[in-house]
Amino acid sequence: MRLSDSGRHIIIYIKTMPDTQTPVIELRSLKKRFGIGDAEHYALDGVDLRIERGEFVAVMGPSGCGKTTLLNIIGLLDRSTDGDYKLDGIEVSTISAHRQARIRSHQIGFIFQSFNLISRLNVIENVALPLTYKGITRTKRLIAASKILRTFHLEEREYYMPHQLSGGQTQRVAIARALVNEPSIILADEPTGNLDSRSSHVIMEELSDLHRRGNTIIMVTHNPRLTSYASRVITMLDGRIDSDTNTLIDEIKAPISEAAAPAHSPKKHKKTKGHHSKSRYRIHIGRRKK
Amino acid sequence: MRSLMINHIQNARQSLRSNRLRSYLTMLGVTIGVASVTVILSLSGGASQVVSSQVDALGGNIAVIRPEAAQKNTVPNLTQITSQRDFSASTLTEHDLKLIKAIQHVDQAAPLMVLGGAIKGEKLAPANSTIVATTPELATISKLVVADGQFLSDDINQNTVVIGDQLSINVFGTDRSLGRALTIRGQPFTIVGILKRLNNPINYNAVDFDNSVIINYESGKQLGQITPQIQQIDVRSDSVNNLGQAIIDINKVLSTSHNGENDFTVLSGSQIAQPTSQLFFAMAGVTTAIAAISLLVGGIGIMNIMLVSVAERTREIGIRKALGANNQDIMSQFMIESMAIGLGGGITGYLVGYLISYGICSFLPFEPVITWQIAATAAFISVVMGTVFGIYPALRAAHKDPIESLREYS
Repeated sequence: MRLSDSGRHIIIYIKTMPDTQTPVIELRSLKKRFGIGDAEHYALDGVDLRIERGEFVAVMGPSGCGKTTLLNIIGLLDRSTDGDYKLDGIEVSTISAHRQARIRSHQIGFIFQSFNLISRLNVIENVALPLTYKGITRTKRLIAASKILRTFHLEEREYYMPHQLSGGQTQRVAIARALVNEPSIILADEPTGNLDSRSSHVIMEELSDLHRRGNTIIMVTHNPRLTSYASRVITMLDGRIDSDTNTLIDEIKAPISEAAAPAHSPKKHKKTKGHHSKSRYRIHIGRRKK
Repeated sequence: MRSLMINHIQNARQSLRSNRLRSYLTMLGVTIGVASVTVILSLSGGASQVVSSQVDALGGNIAVIRPEAAQKNTVPNLTQITSQRDFSASTLTEHDLKLIKAIQHVDQAAPLMVLGGAIKGEKLAPANSTIVATTPELATISKLVVADGQFLSDDINQNTVVIGDQLSINVFGTDRSLGRALTIRGQPFTIVGILKRLNNPINYNAVDFDNSVIINYESGKQLGQITPQIQQIDVRSDSVNNLGQAIIDINKVLSTSHNGENDFTVLSGSQIAQPTSQLFFAMAGVTTAIAAISLLVGGIGIMNIMLVSVAERTREIGIRKALGANNQDIMSQFMIESMAIGLGGGITGYLVGYLISYGICSFLPFEPVITWQIAATAAFISVVMGTVFGIYPALRAAHKDPIESLREYS
């Protein structure tokens, strides 16, 4: 597989890790409590999860089941109340706030449902924003931002203000911003939640393209159709993991594992969708990085 | 790290620009404060410089003897010459004057006796007019020049007077009053000379000669005072090099004559160059108060605006944190913003201060001074204000919870 920039980043990181088999994310009985006393409420109530490098995980579930909280904790924006969270084999609670910010800056890219562009900055400045905190000079920042905007076909929108863009364009800008610092983990919180189906499709194409290049993607979504792009689907209910396609596979491991291995492009998924309509979720075990 | 700091500065500039009017209005508070400080410093510097340049112009061989010991603090120093209004008898005596005149290197010595009382010509003189009794030596020591007539002399009538240019106009309506009569404390005097206009009310004699009459020392004594009240003795040494020796001798002689009591002061050079105008002191006091108040208000303004700006940009802070900014990054951004407001206000304040100073000085007989110390003070005050009043909002911004911040609407 051709090494993209993001791929190179991962490899550099792996070198520093003693064990390449360490899962990127490992959660053990993770809990998050909101409120105290009578108002006490567990948004996450014992989540166990292992996510390997290069997985595309879709997280589904009804409103209030703790999907976003889970994503925020994984993205180091929030802290769990109880339980273990190991990021690349390192227990997160032992990492200082300063170092966590560094990890967010270097390894994690956030895509929000509400885009979260800064309204008084233009498109290219918004995209270049994450590089600011890596100490990259303005010129280099803008060059990098311009380069990534070109891959999203937004080169003509560089000096537009966010409010001058359509929803789909805005989300593409937000994705470009999440990718500009070449993160290995991409966390998307309902990236297509505010978009029509055509724009959604474009966005999902971009995400699965990133996945093909070896990035780990965790996406929260309400839309069951979008899970067809994912390699693994997790359903949450009341702060717990209700179902996980991986465990499903484990149970019936022998028959499928090797057969489903060949890499599919998402376009192929679309064409072949009809054949798989019986199963609710497309199951993808194929791990592109050997 | 260096480029990270540059990035913070660019960030801060960005956000200040996006709220241009607000930034300028916030700066205004600092501007007024720093402007007042600049005015005080440049004017007081100018005032003392004008006196010292006068002393220099007189040849640098002038010493001044004043009653009472050297003042510790500057406040009485500023008003020292007005000791006649303190109703205390001067410690300098005629005997002292004689002793001083006898000292080897003393070329000339002139006593200065400032008297109160009415001056009346065709009209009554204004209240700020002064009566000075002295000896003819004063003309050479203080380089007083007569425009018309002659200065006081020992060989002419006692009841003669030399009148200041402006006072002559005030009393007679003309500066050509030579030979006319006026009364001082009811006594008749004849004008024998009119002084050339000097235009320096602030000088080491603390007498505005344009607005005074100069009478003979003997006449002054006769004007109802049993003991002469000598407020000051001006001394001129025979050369600049001998001034130091002369001062030592004067100290020695006076100390002996005053029974070892150190109740007099001999001043020379820059020591004389203290601003002596009471008006000026009052003005400086008022301006200092304005400066302090406006600096405080300006500082609170900075804090207020920064707090508003932090609240307004809560969501932005959340976004920045999610994109990898740590607490210090956020803190730096807001600190730099408040410091930029402070510094911007400081620079404009410095410039506005000088504009005001030059404006005021067009009514005053001196120029404001421009020194690096004033610039440094202005810069220091403004940076300190930006820092002190910016810390709390910046800390608040830095410690915002990213999740809460992202939930905020903007």
